[in-house]
Amino acid sequence: MTRKPQAFVIEPDTTQRPAKAKSRKPQAITDITFEPETTDSDIAIVPAARAEMRPRRFHWGAILVSALFALASLWAGLAITQLIEGFFARSPWLGWLTLGVAGLAALAAIAIITREIWGLFRLNRMEGLQERAARAINLDEQSSSRDVLTELQSLYAGRADMAWPLKELSSHAADIMDPSDRVHLAGRLLLEPLDEEAHRIIARRARRVTLLTTVTPAAALDILFVATQNFGLLREIAALYGGRPSTLSTLKLARMVVTHLAVAGGLALSDSLIQHIVGKGLLGRLSARFGEGAVNGILTSRIGLAAMDVCRPIPSEKPAREALGKLLREIVSFGEKEKSDAPEQSQS
Amino acid sequence: MAAGGLKDFATGLVHPTLRLGVTGLSRSGKTVFITALVHALLKNARLPVFEAHARGRITRCYLEPQPDDDLPRFAYENHIAALAGNDRRWPEGTRRISQLRLTIEYEPQGLIARNLHGGKLHLDIIDYPGEWLLDLPLMSLTYAQWSAATVAASRKPPRTIHARAWHEHLSSLEATAPADEHVVLKASEVFTSYLARCRQDDVSLSTLPPGRFLMPGDLAGSPLLSFAPLDIAADHVPMAGTLAALMARRYDAYVSKVVKPFYFGHFARLDRQIVLVDVLSALNAGSAAVADLKSALTDVMSSFRIGANSIVSDLFGRRVERVLFAATKADLLHHTSHNRLENILRVLVEDAARRAEFSGATHDVAALAAIRATREATVTRKGEDLACIVGTPQAGEEIGGTAFDGTGEAAIFPGDLPEDASAALDGSLEGQLKFVRFRPPLVKETTFPHVRLDRAIEFLIGDRFA
Repeated sequence: MTRKPQAFVIEPDTTQRPAKAKSRKPQAITDITFEPETTDSDIAIVPAARAEMRPRRFHWGAILVSALFALASLWAGLAITQLIEGFFARSPWLGWLTLGVAGLAALAAIAIITREIWGLFRLNRMEGLQERAARAINLDEQSSSRDVLTELQSLYAGRADMAWPLKELSSHAADIMDPSDRVHLAGRLLLEPLDEEAHRIIARRARRVTLLTTVTPAAALDILFVATQNFGLLREIAALYGGRPSTLSTLKLARMVVTHLAVAGGLALSDSLIQHIVGKGLLGRLSARFGEGAVNGILTSRIGLAAMDVCRPIPSEKPAREALGKLLREIVSFGEKEKSDAPEQSQS
Repeated sequence: MAAGGLKDFATGLVHPTLRLGVTGLSRSGKTVFITALVHALLKNARLPVFEAHARGRITRCYLEPQPDDDLPRFAYENHIAALAGNDRRWPEGTRRISQLRLTIEYEPQGLIARNLHGGKLHLDIIDYPGEWLLDLPLMSLTYAQWSAATVAASRKPPRTIHARAWHEHLSSLEATAPADEHVVLKASEVFTSYLARCRQDDVSLSTLPPGRFLMPGDLAGSPLLSFAPLDIAADHVPMAGTLAALMARRYDAYVSKVVKPFYFGHFARLDRQIVLVDVLSALNAGSAAVADLKSALTDVMSSFRIGANSIVSDLFGRRVERVLFAATKADLLHHTSHNRLENILRVLVEDAARRAEFSGATHDVAALAAIRATREATVTRKGEDLACIVGTPQAGEEIGGTAFDGTGEAAIFPGDLPEDASAALDGSLEGQLKFVRFRPPLVKETTFPHVRLDRAIEFLIGDRFA
């Protein structure tokens, strides 16, 4: 950095250039408006996988709910205060104990609330990251590419499994690259190992759903199982890509995933075909329950893929259909291999 | 050509071969690009953007024995020795045509590739003097047309000053005079010295056909090179036995015996093409040189068969399906200016790029330095941050009154490229830019640093490893 060379010659330029540049500004302004258009023409279309979120509107319903919530917490506060006072009246020792317990409860509540807020904040941050990554890829924008890189690095900084990819990525920091290439590179180095891991998670959950649906005796129970498995899947995938899944953020994520599934209609076609063959056809003939289980499994993997699309910090450029096909192959091939490592998996 | 296409198709099934056309006018950096490309692949350089390589799917690269027995081999080892030797110099200008075959072994993904040829790709690269490229437009011109165009161009500035001696001699020639070998020889001599003058650094013009006059190769002294333009109209029909008739005969022989074999032998069967353009030298010399570069590129590029391939074109002469226009020597600029450099190049090649787009070929523009000779640094002068490049300027280079002796390092601020790319052509930049040539970098590792060489490789051949 500091080894400055001896010969440094720019006297005429330093005095001329800024003045010249300023005097030519009015011309340049008209050109600035044209420049994005030329770059627009060679935009590679990368589908931004982000689900559309409805803007939060101000509603009477919301006011009602918050007012009721405020009332309830006031009432709870009053009740707890009275309780503590009552105990103090009986004996100071009991009073202090109750106060301590109440304080612990308050601390836990605050911790939970912070975690929820932090989780939501993290989810929003990931969403913003995805948007900027799409912009860096599509428009070849230097600033958003730089943002994405620093954000990704801070997102994965503390993780042991990401240490090597991060080191690999930072070794390329001095190379001169186009912004979009840099984002692609980050995606390849950081996220592709995670993609594979995500596929493994989805495959495992899907198999589990299939199995549970097949063996559960009651229909109500298997709805419960499928729901818990799917929420677990969402949380696992969000955590894998660097989210902090908490209850609220998982719910929000679930909503985004459902919206995304509704938007990604292309997937539904191939999916319904598979369902038809697997559910009502071959497997259904063998065993109605197993056919249902397989359909549930496929549904789970579809949800998992949508969750991947929503959570992945850099939008994936692989077509969804290809991903589903690859995943199905993985499920089947794992299913064959599972005989050997099934005990391990069921324990984990 | 159709027969050649059939042969290519048949051998391509079993031994997939990719003919990479490295196109560029003289001194645009073809030799350095080829050397760097081969070196990077052979020595396993850092190429993060070249996906097949970065993913480790390329298992081995090696140089094959020469496939064509009638072509000299590209002197790769000599060029590397020049670049990495103790005196670190750029390779000498190319004087004759040469060829190199690089074989890349890789892990194929597809079923067919795995079973049919086991993941092997031959990359054929041809190097040739860039001057020869300027001959390609001559194929569609008659002697009279070429003569008239050349004389007309030489009467416009900036050529007119340098053409004085030739113009004097030209006025002494009579097209209808009886043919005389001595007159012809003298005329071609004077004309050649005019062309050579226009090519020097301070003028840096590009449109200077016929190319063999400047770089005769093995044709030096051949009667094929003894002709020169006469001051005649474009539709002039020479009478038999006159000077003009002799000149026209020589010109036609030149086109049919020199230009056409060169074109059909090497350019008509390319698969991928990279067009190297030395924008910075032209900018150094001024807007006239830039405009001349643009017209030269437009002329040259119109000779190539660009477009998407189909089954028919697979059999009867392939077309260039991917073209990369590259502004070379991008290491003479800070990377924050590369976008502007690319925009200027876009203006220069817009006709060729439009043609490529219409015909379905994929094309792109990149600022490139096959071997990066500089580092980057920011210098604060008078409270202003200047994005500079640091390297060892070549002996004899000069900027702002300081001459360099080729030993010390210096930080150079070359000036700001215009935000509006068309300013490069309208002359508003005169004297505001100065790009200094640097010596090749001191190599610390075994490979050369580069700027976007990996991107160029990915664009040109990356799809063949998918």
